[in-house]
Amino acid sequence: MKKITDDDLVLLFYGEHDDPALAVMVAESEELSARYDALSAELKLADTYLPPERADDYGSDVWQRISSQLGANGNRRAGRLNAWLASLAQPRFSLAGALSFALVAVLAFILGRDGGPEIINTPGMPGDIVNGTSISMTEIDPGRLLTHSVSGHLEQVNLILTQFANTTESRSSESNFATDMLVANRLYRQAAVSQGNTKLAAFLADLEPLLIELAYEAQSGSAATRERMQQEVRDGLLFRVRVMNRQLNKSEISI
Amino acid sequence: MSQTEQKTIRKAAKGDRAAFRELVLEHSHAMFRLAWRLTSDETAAEDIVQESFIKAWRKIGEFRMESSFKSWLHRITVNTAMDYLRKHVRRKQFETEEPEWETVEHAGVATDTGTQIDISTQTQAAMMDLSESERTALLLKHYEGHSIIEVARIMEITTGACKQNIFRAVKKMRIALRPLVAT
Repeated sequence: MKKITDDDLVLLFYGEHDDPALAVMVAESEELSARYDALSAELKLADTYLPPERADDYGSDVWQRISSQLGANGNRRAGRLNAWLASLAQPRFSLAGALSFALVAVLAFILGRDGGPEIINTPGMPGDIVNGTSISMTEIDPGRLLTHSVSGHLEQVNLILTQFANTTESRSSESNFATDMLVANRLYRQAAVSQGNTKLAAFLADLEPLLIELAYEAQSGSAATRERMQQEVRDGLLFRVRVMNRQLNKSEISI
Repeated sequence: MSQTEQKTIRKAAKGDRAAFRELVLEHSHAMFRLAWRLTSDETAAEDIVQESFIKAWRKIGEFRMESSFKSWLHRITVNTAMDYLRKHVRRKQFETEEPEWETVEHAGVATDTGTQIDISTQTQAAMMDLSESERTALLLKHYEGHSIIEVARIMEITTGACKQNIFRAVKKMRIALRPLVAT
């Protein structure tokens, strides 16, 4: 007769033994019964390993926590739609952001063409009403236009730097957004140079290296690189962006 | 797996969030129990459940109806829990001289009023003393009631290796729990 091992008894306990005759053998043998009873008693103690209770609505709680994090799943069509809808929520595709970005090239062209530090005395922006008269494009103050536009640009830079400084994982949207910001930053810097606004040009030049890193290295670089960049942002760059933006809004810098 | 569940899974695979919500409501408690038994940590277990469902949503299109959906979810939960344990338990062991489960073991001195708690903590300590694969195999078999073939599939090992893990786990558990049987 084949020797019955403890492993056989374990399989019997879990109803997984191949030989249906084993149960009969155990029942008929005093020695096997004693071994089996000891095994059962010890394994039944493991049933005291009880997890903490969850409330009945735990499932709803889990759903609430994860639903906002569910992007597209395996389905391609739904995936594309969800991704597109999600992208609308991203700051880079906000209506104001998209419009302002489209205007950057036109603006840079106007500012570059008009170049030079000459200031037109008429205050205001196109479309503003001054003394009952609408300001036309020919009366645009390039300095104010630049200030106004760079202020919008810095608001977007502030947004992406804040997001970057506070997230541990890199995202592809971060890189795309930084690339857009980099292009805009260069155009504004050139416009500032052509207008002779050296302070603003220097500030925008200071921003460039970080935007380049964000655009090309933040996603593929190491965790250490990311941490170093985040530190750089937190240590002062973010603060400088905000201060400069405030100054631009108050038109405190010389144009 | 019922036809209703199959229908719900198909809808979820097509991107239907309401259908996926139904699956979350249905399986959350069981996934929490499994995650907690694997980690012995309530907060970690909750995180693992959430992460597992997010992974399940992304991969639900790959699920084939021939296996049980519960087993498929358990596989994701086990993998997520293993990742968690590898990252966090090692760090904990570096941070503290004594692993957390040893504290539990020391706390398990029998008292007249707390025998049940004592057995529970001893069981927990014994369970955490098993290797990851032994613990996983035993949990899936003993508590979740999966067949050995299912456990092997979930763990992505052969049935032979799965049996060996269960045998070793049972042997160790018996040694740890034997003194408590007479209590």
